[in-house]
Amino acid sequence: MSESATSAMAAGGVAAPAGHAPDRFFKYWLIAPAIFLLLLVGLFPLIYSLIVSFQNITMMEVDTSFAGFINYAQLFKDARLWQALLHTALITIIALPLELVLGLLMAQLFLERMPGRQIFVSLLVLPTVISPIVAGATWRLMFDNRYGPINQIIGWFAGEPMTILWTVNPNLVYPSIFICEVWQWTPFMFLILLAALSNVDKSLTEAAEIDGAGYWRTFFKIVLPSIWPVMAIAILIRGLDLVRIFDVIWALTQGGPGTMTETISIYTYVQGFQQFETSYTAAIAFLVIAMLTVIVVWAIRRMGLAK
Amino acid sequence: MIKTVAWVGAVAGLAMSWASAAMAESAAEIAVKEAQKYRGQTITIAWEAGLQALDPLNFSGPKWEELTGIKVKVVELPIAEMFTKIMQEYRAGTGAYDALNVVPAWMPDLANAGALEVLDPYVEKYGYAAELQTIAPTYRDNQMKVGDKIYGFPDDGDVFVFYYRKDIFGDQATKDEFKAKHGYDLAPPKTWKEFAEIGQFLTDKYKPDMYGAAFFRQPPYGMFMFQERFRTEGGKFFDAETMKATINSDVGVKVLEGMRAENKFMPPGVEQWGFVENLAAFLQGQTAMTISWPPYGRWAAGYGTDQEVLSWVPKSQIAGKVGYALPPGGHPELAAGFALSVASTSKNKDAAYLFIQWLNSEDVSLQRVQLPYALRDPFRDSHFTSPEYLAKWPDAKDYLATLSEGAKTGLLDLSLLQTDKYEEVLRQAISKLWAGEDAKSILDAAAAEWDAITAKIGVDKQKAVYQAWAAKSGAYPQ
Repeated sequence: MSESATSAMAAGGVAAPAGHAPDRFFKYWLIAPAIFLLLLVGLFPLIYSLIVSFQNITMMEVDTSFAGFINYAQLFKDARLWQALLHTALITIIALPLELVLGLLMAQLFLERMPGRQIFVSLLVLPTVISPIVAGATWRLMFDNRYGPINQIIGWFAGEPMTILWTVNPNLVYPSIFICEVWQWTPFMFLILLAALSNVDKSLTEAAEIDGAGYWRTFFKIVLPSIWPVMAIAILIRGLDLVRIFDVIWALTQGGPGTMTETISIYTYVQGFQQFETSYTAAIAFLVIAMLTVIVVWAIRRMGLAK
Repeated sequence: MIKTVAWVGAVAGLAMSWASAAMAESAAEIAVKEAQKYRGQTITIAWEAGLQALDPLNFSGPKWEELTGIKVKVVELPIAEMFTKIMQEYRAGTGAYDALNVVPAWMPDLANAGALEVLDPYVEKYGYAAELQTIAPTYRDNQMKVGDKIYGFPDDGDVFVFYYRKDIFGDQATKDEFKAKHGYDLAPPKTWKEFAEIGQFLTDKYKPDMYGAAFFRQPPYGMFMFQERFRTEGGKFFDAETMKATINSDVGVKVLEGMRAENKFMPPGVEQWGFVENLAAFLQGQTAMTISWPPYGRWAAGYGTDQEVLSWVPKSQIAGKVGYALPPGGHPELAAGFALSVASTSKNKDAAYLFIQWLNSEDVSLQRVQLPYALRDPFRDSHFTSPEYLAKWPDAKDYLATLSEGAKTGLLDLSLLQTDKYEEVLRQAISKLWAGEDAKSILDAAAAEWDAITAKIGVDKQKAVYQAWAAKSGAYPQ
C-alpha cells in the first residue's frame, strides 16, 4: 500500500486507485443507512407524534387541522392523569429501594464462596427472565381466592379457610403489586450488585479491617464508593422500568379497583388503544417524555454518571 | 265449454303452483343460487376468536364453499380488539374484511364512521325482507338499524337467563320452611327483594355445601347486570332533554347497594368471579341460583359438553335439576350479542352479503344455533319452536320458552356514540363497588364522567343518538 493511500485512510477516507482523488465522504456513505434507519424508526415517529398532538384525531374523527394547545391544556385539567402519575411515583419510590436493599443483601450473602452457589444464583435469577405479563398472570393465580395457594397457606396457619381478595381489597392491592414486582426484579439488582461487589479491591477492605474500621464504616467508606457507578446504573435502569410499569399491573388489577392502581403507562394505553384519543395520547406521551428527560438528566448529574 | 273452463283452470292452477314454488324459494336457496356467480372468489369474515369461530371454521364456512365454490377465510379476533381492528382496517382502507361480526351496541359508531355497508338495497335485491321479519322482535326491532337503514342482521340471541335448582325449589320441607319464614311460596323470584330473601334463606340452610346464589361479578359482567337492574327498578340513564347523566339517582344507589349486599350470601370471594368460575360453581351444585347467557342452560343439561372443545366445561352434576326463568324484574339484559354486517370497504360486497344472508336465514341459522360447540343462541321465532331443538334434552322446551320470553321483553345494552367510554366508566364503578367505596360517591363520580364524555362528543349530537336509542322498544321496560 502506498504512503498516500495509508494517509488517506488515516484521514478517514479510503484508498483511491492511482489517478483518482479519494472520496472524502465515503465514511458518511457507510454510516448513512444506519443513520437513515435510526431517523426513520426514532425521529420520524417522534416528530409525527408531536404534529398529531396539535391536531384533534380520534378513532371516530380524523381532524388533521391545527388545534392549537387544546390537548396540552387538557392535560392540566385531567385529574385521572395526575392520579396516574402519582400512582407511578408511589410504586417507584417504594419498589425501587426495596429491590435495591434486598438485592444488595442477597449479593452480600452470595459473595462468599459456598457449596452450590452457582446453582442458587441461577435459580434466583429465573424470575427476571420471565415475561412481566406472565409473571403478573402467575401472581394473579397465586392470589386467587379459590385456586391460589397463598390464601390456602394463610388459612392453614389461621386454622380456617381465608377469603382475602388481594386484587380487590384497596388495602391489599398495592402490597400484591409490590410482592410481584419485587419478586421479579430483585434478582436483577442482585446479579448486577453481585458482579460489582466481586470486583471490589479486597486489599482495601482488608487494610481497613487491619486499621480497625468496623463493618459499616468499611461498607460506606470503601465498598459503596467502589460499587456506586454500577449501582447507579442499576438504579437508573430499574427506575425507568418502574416509571413505565404496565404488564404486571395490567395482569393483576388492570389498574383497579376503579383507577386506584392505574399508572401513567396504563392510562396512556387506555386513552390511546381503548378510547382512541389519538391526539390527546400523543400529548400525554410528550408530557411523560418531558418529565422523564428532566428526571433522568437530574439523576445522571446527581449520581455522577456523566463524569 | 265446461271442458274449456276446466282446461283453463288446470293451466292456471299449474301456473300458480309454479309461481308459488318460485315464491317459496327460501332466502338460503336464493343466496346459494346467486352466490354461484362468484365461484372461485374468497371472502374474509371477522369473527370472535375461540368457540364462536368454530361455526364458520367447522360448519358454515366449509358448507358454503361446497354449495357455492366461494372460499371463506375466517379472521379470529378477541372480542376486546374487534371494534378497534374493524375501525383500523376501515380507516386504512385495506378492504381486509368483507363481512363482519358486530356487537349491536357498536353499530351507531361504525355506521356513522362509514365502516358498514347499508344493507337495504341487498335485502331487496336478494329477497330477504320476509325472512328478516321472523327474527324475534327484540332483536329485529332494536339490533338491525341505525336511523332507518339496515346495517346488520341480528344473529345471536344473547340474553340473560335466570337459572335455579328446581329440585331445591321443589323440596317440600324447604318450601314449608321458607313459607313459614317469609310468608310467600318459594319460587323463582320476581323482584330483587325476593331474590335477596331466597338467596339468604338457602345460604343459611345449605352453606357451606351450597350457597343461595352466585353471579359473575367481574366488572365487564357486573356492568351489564347494573344496566339491567337499574332500568327494571325504574332508572333512566340520561335526562333526555339536557343529556345530563342520571345514573346517580336514588335508583342507581339502591341498585349498587343491593348488589353489594347480595355478596354476603354468595360464596366467599364472589367479587372476583368471571364467567368460568360462576359456571363451574353452578354446574357442580355449589350454588342454587345464578344469571348468565344461554349456554349455561345447555351445558347444565349436558348438551354439547361431550365435545372436545368444551372439555374445559366441568361435568354437570345438576343435569335435569335446572329450572329456567327470567331474571327478577322480568326484563333481561340482551348483553352483547352479534349482528352480521358487510364492510363498506369490501371488494366482494355481493358475495359477502350473500354469505351473511345465507348464515342468517331461517334454514341455516336453525342449524347453527344447535351446533353443540358454538355459542350462537336462538334468535328467530322458529328457533324457539323447532321440534328438533325441543327434543335436544328433556327440559329443552322450558329453556326455549324462557329464551323466547326474554326475546320479547329483553333490554338493549346502552348504545350511543363512543359507547365503550360510557361502559368503561360503569366497569370502573363496579370495580370500586367491590372495593368498598360508597355507592353514592361512586355514581356521582360516574355521572360526572359521563357528562364530560357527552360534552366532548357534543351534547346535541349525542342527544339525537340517545333519543333514537331510547325510542326503541327494548331501551326501557315498556
